[in-house]
Amino acid sequence: MNQILTIARKEIVDGLRDSRSVAASLAYALMGPVVVGLVSMTVHGKKDSEAVLTGMMAIFTLVSAFVGGMNVAMDTVAGERERKSLLPLLMNAVPRANVVLGKWLAVSFFAMGGLVINVLGFLVVCESAGMHVTASSRELFLGACGLFTLPFLASAIQLCISTISRGVKEAQTYLSLVTFVPMGMGMFLVFCPAAARTWCRFLPLVGQQLQFEALMNGSGVSFLQPVVLGYLTLALAALVLLVAANRLQRDEIIYGN
Amino acid sequence: MSPLRGWSSVASGFVFFPSLFFGSAGVTSTTFSALHFFVRIPLQPGLPIHTAMIKTNNLRKSFQGRQVVRGLSFEAPDGAITGLLGANGAGKTTTLRMICGVLQADSGYVTVDEAMDSIDRQHSVGALLDHIGLYSRLTVRENLAYFGRLRGMRPESLDQRINSVISVLGLEAIADRRTAGFSQGERMRTALGRALLHSPKNFVLDEPTNGLDIPTIRSLRELLRKLRDVGTCVVFSSHVLDEVRALCDRVSVIAKGTIVAQGSPEELCSLAGTDSLEDAFIELTCPAEVC
Repeated sequence: MNQILTIARKEIVDGLRDSRSVAASLAYALMGPVVVGLVSMTVHGKKDSEAVLTGMMAIFTLVSAFVGGMNVAMDTVAGERERKSLLPLLMNAVPRANVVLGKWLAVSFFAMGGLVINVLGFLVVCESAGMHVTASSRELFLGACGLFTLPFLASAIQLCISTISRGVKEAQTYLSLVTFVPMGMGMFLVFCPAAARTWCRFLPLVGQQLQFEALMNGSGVSFLQPVVLGYLTLALAALVLLVAANRLQRDEIIYGN
Repeated sequence: MSPLRGWSSVASGFVFFPSLFFGSAGVTSTTFSALHFFVRIPLQPGLPIHTAMIKTNNLRKSFQGRQVVRGLSFEAPDGAITGLLGANGAGKTTTLRMICGVLQADSGYVTVDEAMDSIDRQHSVGALLDHIGLYSRLTVRENLAYFGRLRGMRPESLDQRINSVISVLGLEAIADRRTAGFSQGERMRTALGRALLHSPKNFVLDEPTNGLDIPTIRSLRELLRKLRDVGTCVVFSSHVLDEVRALCDRVSVIAKGTIVAQGSPEELCSLAGTDSLEDAFIELTCPAEVC
């Protein structure tokens, strides 16, 4: 456990010192609230304006969970391979699963940070646009349980992709494409809400979006849905981490360059 | 056989005694006993003498169907500098990476201090392979602290050790600078500090003098001799014959992934029937009918 925390701590310190990367992540996290704030001024008083704004917010929120830790995920494995610091790390009697877990915690820290800033930004936008969240505090807590597991999944996916990539540029290409998944999924559900079946509420990513929208439009959140969704999201993250740890065992990690 | 073997960590004596690196102080068991007492490193009197040694037995490794190491066996004893001499692509780096536990052999095995598991081996090996890879946004001190913590060193002794390593390697002036923009020599010294921080009983280097200036090469040679003198098992690979002749007590000549000859530089010359190590190397690795 000490090794995992040591790696996580080092990656967080290292990531925070990369001021350009931090600024980029902050810009991504605040982009949603700024855009939705501008749109809210345009659609103010029009029919269905709240539904439009809620849909936009859901998409930006999902995306923020993916972009918050993207730079760190890129840097922490693909970047290490490129800078040739991964080999010295692997020579230090550290099981590779610990390496993956430590780095995953660090990426999750940044992803969670991006998501929290994004959600706080939307709260400010809602306040200024006169939109009121009618959900009870219990529903908000349950909703948060489901929503805030998403950065852990996003970080696991990004770390796994970074492990597969041979360099930062390659990782950046793949991770940018991954960002389109929540975006595309979100837009699809905004324009085709009827496509969402009941089981979709338990599907990681889709479930978080539907839950977010339900919280915002006051249609209610059951106890079961966010809890099961949270568990499934974390289980999927664990599975992806296993793939990443397995990948890190391969010779290509050492000879990939 | 070194009388110092059996201590918990002989190289730590070096680490805590700067004059061993830059000065010409003699090495005596009394000096090291005093050093061990001073730094409160527990002795392990029960540890059998001669246990620390690197052995490989019939190692084989292939990449994408191409056999890089073919049945390689050699031993590197304690208190000696063993050179792996071979041309580019002979399998030196792959062998060292298997010794250091970052690559797994397809067959055969490696033992370091009788440990076979790669994580166990890594506990007693300090290595400076071809990837120096420092963290550019961390200072020298932070780089060392990170690896010390990963090695499980206790916080109270870690700071003391870091200060000693910094002092020994002459890194005081740059200790609190981030490593971005360091010269090759500064990077190398920092990486050496990282490899020696946990006082390894075995030290592995892969072509360590590549890209270094002459004073740094000279310091590095001195360091390796001092480590050898305190009983550390030192293995390094090179294709620079002068370096091998200057440093090595034993040489294992490697060609096409296997050991073709072993012995002291003089023994190799005698074996090949040549006057120079260069001729001996050519004769042993590339017979006349092939070259």
